[in-house]
Amino acid sequence: MLELDAITAGYEPRKPVIAGISLSVRPGESVGLLGPSGCGKSTLARVAALLHRPDAGRVVIDGTEATGWRHRAPRSQRTAFGVVFQQPRLSADPRLTLSALIAEPLRATGRAAEAADGAREFAARVGLGEDLLGRRPHEVSDGQLQRACVARALILRPRWLVCDEMTAMLDASTTAALVRVVEDYRADSGAGLLAVGHDRVLLERWCDRTVHWSEPAA
Amino acid sequence: MAETAEKTQTAGNTEMAEPAGVAWRVRGMRRRSTRTWRIRTSAVITLAVVLAVLLVPPLVHLDEQAVDLAAKLQPPSLAHPFGTDDVGRDLLLRCVYGLRVSLLVGVVAAVVATVIGTAVGAAAAAAGGRVDRLVMRLVDLFSSVPHLLLGIFIVAMFRPGVWPVVVSVALTHWLSTARIVRAEVLSLRSRPYVDAAISGGASRMRVAVRHLLPGVLPQAGLAAVLMVPHAVWHESALSFLGLGLPTHQASLGTLVQSARGALLAGDWWPTLFPGLFIIVPTLAIAGLAGAWRERLNPRRRSELML
Amino acid sequence: MTTSTVDAVTTPVLDVRGLSVRFRMRGGRFIRAVTDAHFTLAAGERLALVGESGCGKSVLASALLGLLPENAETAGSAVLGGGPGAGGGSGPGGGSGPGGGTDLLAADERTLARSIRGRKVGLVPQSPAAHLTPVRTVRSQLEETVRELLRTPRAALRKTAEEVAERASFPADHLDRYPHELSGGLAQRAATALALIGDAPLLLADEPTTGLDRDLVERTVDELARHTGDSRALLMITHDLAAAERIADRIAVMYAGRIVEIADAGDFFGARGPRHPYARGLLDALPERHFTPTPGMPPELGALPEGCAFAERCARVSEKCRVQPLFEDAVACHHVSLDAPEALEAEHA
Repeated sequence: MLELDAITAGYEPRKPVIAGISLSVRPGESVGLLGPSGCGKSTLARVAALLHRPDAGRVVIDGTEATGWRHRAPRSQRTAFGVVFQQPRLSADPRLTLSALIAEPLRATGRAAEAADGAREFAARVGLGEDLLGRRPHEVSDGQLQRACVARALILRPRWLVCDEMTAMLDASTTAALVRVVEDYRADSGAGLLAVGHDRVLLERWCDRTVHWSEPAA
Repeated sequence: MAETAEKTQTAGNTEMAEPAGVAWRVRGMRRRSTRTWRIRTSAVITLAVVLAVLLVPPLVHLDEQAVDLAAKLQPPSLAHPFGTDDVGRDLLLRCVYGLRVSLLVGVVAAVVATVIGTAVGAAAAAAGGRVDRLVMRLVDLFSSVPHLLLGIFIVAMFRPGVWPVVVSVALTHWLSTARIVRAEVLSLRSRPYVDAAISGGASRMRVAVRHLLPGVLPQAGLAAVLMVPHAVWHESALSFLGLGLPTHQASLGTLVQSARGALLAGDWWPTLFPGLFIIVPTLAIAGLAGAWRERLNPRRRSELML
Repeated sequence: MTTSTVDAVTTPVLDVRGLSVRFRMRGGRFIRAVTDAHFTLAAGERLALVGESGCGKSVLASALLGLLPENAETAGSAVLGGGPGAGGGSGPGGGSGPGGGTDLLAADERTLARSIRGRKVGLVPQSPAAHLTPVRTVRSQLEETVRELLRTPRAALRKTAEEVAERASFPADHLDRYPHELSGGLAQRAATALALIGDAPLLLADEPTTGLDRDLVERTVDELARHTGDSRALLMITHDLAAAERIADRIAVMYAGRIVEIADAGDFFGARGPRHPYARGLLDALPERHFTPTPGMPPELGALPEGCAFAERCARVSEKCRVQPLFEDAVACHHVSLDAPEALEAEHA
């Protein structure tokens, strides 16, 4: 169970972007959070993935309350989340090749020995051919780069996925392909999903349940 | 019209056979060629300067201090292409030696200033909060004092020589680098790819070494190269004011300074040539640094478009 | 009067024939961003050029505006406002073809800057916030453009600028704001107002809805449709099929640098559906339809295959696909032209 309880968060003191928001996702469930751009839903996604410390409120992950965010969160808690962001260009280190990018979480957690095989396996899952793996982000398209970012999010086999406007920059075909990759992964791992976006049709098709931004506050 | 709507035959297309009769028009060739020309000129001048400075003293056994009062203040001639100064020393040789000293001061000061600036900037960004604010206010405070004044204050505490000048230039020039590096670290740190790394289990150290440092180093390196011309000008200014190097030691600043008297008498060469030696090589270095800056973002517009 | 009406019907606003763009890369390599595009656009017509990112559609737009980067080479012609028969006969050496039209690909920068951009082609940009000058108010930017394009006397500038804003539904009380003080929708209207000033016969909208929320997308395209009216032509470049469906009379589908199908929008989105297998795949991927992706990814524009570029992803691939299909009867596929529409539909279902 992923529980967000009365979260208040923002980037400047006393100017919260979100105030008193609560939301929970059951294991294996997929929840779509719908809201207009600029409403703070991305901030909530970052709080949930332990990437932004809220000013108030609790985050409870599988029964354990989070006490630290970013580097202050224990590694096992951080890696329980796979995160995909809206803009693949900004979420990929421009100096890494796609295969290094995908395998980076394995290397960061001391599993460098599995890096090469892992990168190949997950690249295949997202439909990236071997010929693209040696390239750097500026040599591939947005869609190809986002595929690599999804592979990176899945490679540590997280129990929770947080997708923040994952497909907003992509065309329909890549969108459908990546949603299928995420759903295939969830089907065999039982992971829960929090998908944030503004496209109602997409999220209603993708998720078990959608929540409108005005609702979780209540 | 001819410059842009030029018709060319297809040639050298290794990818694919062209359908017969496709006529390709090439557009906008001019801007690129001036850019190439600028880079090449800068590279040639910089290379010539570096070679002259490194090779002339060990290979050419001439004494730049040799006084020949019989040949004092000679205008440029075959024997003395840049003429001679008020005690008959060859100005070409003194310019080369002067450039050597000035460049040495410039390069060392730029490197020291960059190291200090990078360290302070990165530390401030990493610490964040109050420490960051305090450090950056101090940087602002230092920046509000004119460089040269602060530099003069520092050299005045020492006996004239090369090292006080290096210290003075370095200590007054790290401020801008600290700002650049801090801003760069802060901007990189808020990128989603750092978020992704944290979520992927990366430690603080790993984020710093693998994701932040490689992003900052090119900027810092560029700042160092751009600082070399600045440091050379500074050295010249200090020496011109009589506060830098001792006047017998040739540096671009001391050469211009000692030429002042001659200039009033109408002898232009002792001022002109050292002056050119200050301006031309530093512009060439700045030109190369500019090209490097463009390379830091290697994507061409056509790639952005696709 | 009669002749001009006949002219408007028979003369396209834009006549693109054999337009190709390639980029010269290091080592003598070429990237073929656009290959052999043909289409025409008449007054009152709204054409949506759709395709995935990287298919070359933005390059095509830039070519029409003469805004290609320095390593680009072009071929073919794109005649704007030509008389009957213009385009085919216009040599690439000159800027103007017979009948008074201008070949946008051959025109020099001076012609483009002085008489085309803004006056003959109005651009509605992709990110309006970036298109507006951040340090000047909307009013001062409108006034400057009005002065440049219409030569309005100083005394009348203010009034004309307000009328222009009014036309694009930009609220008058926001005229003195800076671009960063505007919402996404208002910034889009400000940019549209700028594009409309020159009363250009061709409006070119390059991904005008990227990153906007759904209702804002709908408002934006509805306004574009209104501005097109009967007298202008609109070319909208987009990867958003829903936006294309809402606005366009005709759809052109681009894949790997080629236009593979041009169809009536009603047929394309309606019961008949697209005819090219790629276009069908695009529609099937929509969440409101089958939500199934076309397998694989588009080929690289720097290494296009000999034959049909879609062959390796196509379910109907056969021996014939080794040869580049011709663009015949508004579609470029070896299979479609032979099939009856009924057979296609049966397979589709």
